Amino acid sequence: MGNCCSDDAGGRMAVGGTAASHANPNAATSNDAVENFLRSHGYPFSQIELSLSASGLRDRDVFSKSDPMVVIYTKERDGTLVELGRTEVVLNSINPTWITKQTIAFHFEVVQTLVFRVYDVDTQFHNVDVKMLKLDEQQFLGEGTCTLSEIMIRQDRSLTIDLLHREESNRGNHSRNCGKITVHAEESASSKTTIEMILSCSDLEYKDLFSRSDPFLVISKIVEGGAVIPVCKTEVIKNELKPKWNPIFLSIQQVGSKDQGLIIECFNFNSNGKHDLIGKVEKSLADLEKLHRSKQGENLFIPSSVGHGHPLETKVLKSRLFVDKFTESVQHTFLDYLAGGFELNFMVAIDFTASNGNPRLPDSLHYIDPSGRPNAYQRAISEVGEVLKFYDTDKRFPAWGFGARPIDGPVSHCFYLNGSSHYYEVEGIHGIMMAYMSALRNVSLAGPTLFGPVISYAASIASQSLANGGRKYFVLLIITDGVVTDLQETKDAIVKASDLPLSILIVGVGGADFKEMEILDADKGGRLESSTGRVASRDIVQFVPLRDVHGGQVSVVQALLAELPTQFLTYMRTRDIKPNV
Amino acid sequence: MAKYYDNYYSSRTVEMTVLSGEDLRLARKSVKKNTFVVVRSDGSNFRTTEMDGGESGSRPNWNEKLVLDLPAHAQAVTLEVHCKTAFGDKIVGTVSVPVADFSGGYLSESGYLHFLSYRLRDSRGEKNGIINVSVRMEVPIPEYTCSASVLAPEQMTVGVPVGKSNFGGVVTGVPVLCAYNNRNF
Repeated sequence: MGNCCSDDAGGRMAVGGTAASHANPNAATSNDAVENFLRSHGYPFSQIELSLSASGLRDRDVFSKSDPMVVIYTKERDGTLVELGRTEVVLNSINPTWITKQTIAFHFEVVQTLVFRVYDVDTQFHNVDVKMLKLDEQQFLGEGTCTLSEIMIRQDRSLTIDLLHREESNRGNHSRNCGKITVHAEESASSKTTIEMILSCSDLEYKDLFSRSDPFLVISKIVEGGAVIPVCKTEVIKNELKPKWNPIFLSIQQVGSKDQGLIIECFNFNSNGKHDLIGKVEKSLADLEKLHRSKQGENLFIPSSVGHGHPLETKVLKSRLFVDKFTESVQHTFLDYLAGGFELNFMVAIDFTASNGNPRLPDSLHYIDPSGRPNAYQRAISEVGEVLKFYDTDKRFPAWGFGARPIDGPVSHCFYLNGSSHYYEVEGIHGIMMAYMSALRNVSLAGPTLFGPVISYAASIASQSLANGGRKYFVLLIITDGVVTDLQETKDAIVKASDLPLSILIVGVGGADFKEMEILDADKGGRLESSTGRVASRDIVQFVPLRDVHGGQVSVVQALLAELPTQFLTYMRTRDIKPNV
Repeated sequence: MAKYYDNYYSSRTVEMTVLSGEDLRLARKSVKKNTFVVVRSDGSNFRTTEMDGGESGSRPNWNEKLVLDLPAHAQAVTLEVHCKTAFGDKIVGTVSVPVADFSGGYLSESGYLHFLSYRLRDSRGEKNGIINVSVRMEVPIPEYTCSASVLAPEQMTVGVPVGKSNFGGVVTGVPVLCAYNNRNF
């Protein structure tokens, strides 16, 4: 399984197939090979199919209408366009509906900008495969841009955007309106179908010297080319030769198809990370369904090489795998809830403690660079805010500061960033930045670092919204440079908030040692306990330190955001809240 | 607002669904079967779940909804996890769930389904596992409603006051809360 030392608590947890979640990527600090792989490949995403139509296209040909085709691009962070695909050519129409669908994966954690360029294809190319067409030989009719999230939040999943054509002429640059393009999105069915399985084994062999094995399962899929990709793993059951694991939830899309070959391996957990293989079976989901119905067990086998020169043999074991439960259901996805009118409300709390350094000095974490280069706080606000703002309908965000002394008052651990005394919201991400910069001029940094008050305030907002029948889920971003001073009070606030529609993202900036903060993230530290004996009923905190990222496509903050749909779904599903009223 | 209602109740009903337990131990060995839970709101008000035979995996899953009366003076609901062993009924762990955890605050009259988890302690006060429950307070039924429904005479009735204090007068409020249905999310 790999010669790495995995942290014990993290290594024992189920990954990838946990209840109502389709991925629960583990800590960055854990070195276990499965965890790392799942982190980079296992985020669930929905497959979206885009259908396009247009109206009011310009006539380019004198004697006939245009023959339009669309080329679809995504725009990368640096502005470069990457072609995704092309539609077919529709002959003789200025209001075409194209049949070719474009498939794209929906990634919640990034802003996916789409660019649609419409071309009129010249008659001489009409029998050429669209992929072979040279675009500079065609007539450019216009371009439209939008983000994928803008389409997905609409109830009818359709968005109509203007096509623009920048024309350079003697009169200078100007854009002409050249019709409209309508993009309609549909989530593919395979994203929604979920299989719930309960697996158990009998007669497992002793692998440890003085105790029974500590078995767990890893389910992997065999893809084209023979590569084996882990999909999920169960929790570890200690000291048991007849284990029965907690239910595993897998979406068909995670696995590929019901007939996709899967390898189910049973390992014995070892704290040093070198888990012994007890046995395995190779079955597809369809095979497992048959196994469940027949109520039979399937014998595990183990490959064993017998001496030099002999081919790899397999030894069939007495141990058997049983499928005690196998149900298939259509689960609502995150996108279904968006279409049903649910929204994510973004809230932000900024650390104004003295440890950040004097904001006027360039080495301070709060230094506002006159050249416009964003400091760590501004980067965190913009990386999270720019993704989440699409899901917030009114674009008004509660914004707080903590750990500072406003002009003529005592230290406050929850003051309104905009300086108002009765109104805590700001308008847009721009509003957050303005309020932040103005607060830097108007408060004195102090301390200590306490999260309890801002978490409690956010929880009360969530609670009030719920009581008023709102269909909102709240996301609180806390940006801090240091370790929280009163850990227990913070835990108490988090435990109370775990029952509410709230997720907390904590981003650590600067060079402090954030080891203690990782305790707040249940992926790394286990369930949080309050001082009164109450335990967090779900994991609502994610923590990540924002180190300087040199290159790399996925920033650490994006990894943080990728878990939000899962937390949202866990909340909705456990309470049986459906997307539509 | 919640205090206003307290004067009107002699008791309320609470629906507690005992879900599952984790990491329960007896004499250092993990406890997975033959367990049941007693939910108690005071000396005479208690309910018991069925025994979990241990078929459902590595931890006890009771998944049973219990409805019991919560007297006005009750501050907490006690949960006791019992295990039937060869030596008789043993208490694995207990916890006292404060009523304030699922009642009072913004959500008190909304019928919100709370999901709560608690640390269990054994008879010596040592930590012994976690218990997961979901709780919903019964929503009080106001006396005057917009819809024509017939109320049993002995049911608790509460009017929602609109406007200034109106003690002693007839309450003619619009009972928004009676129509509240948590499925409206």
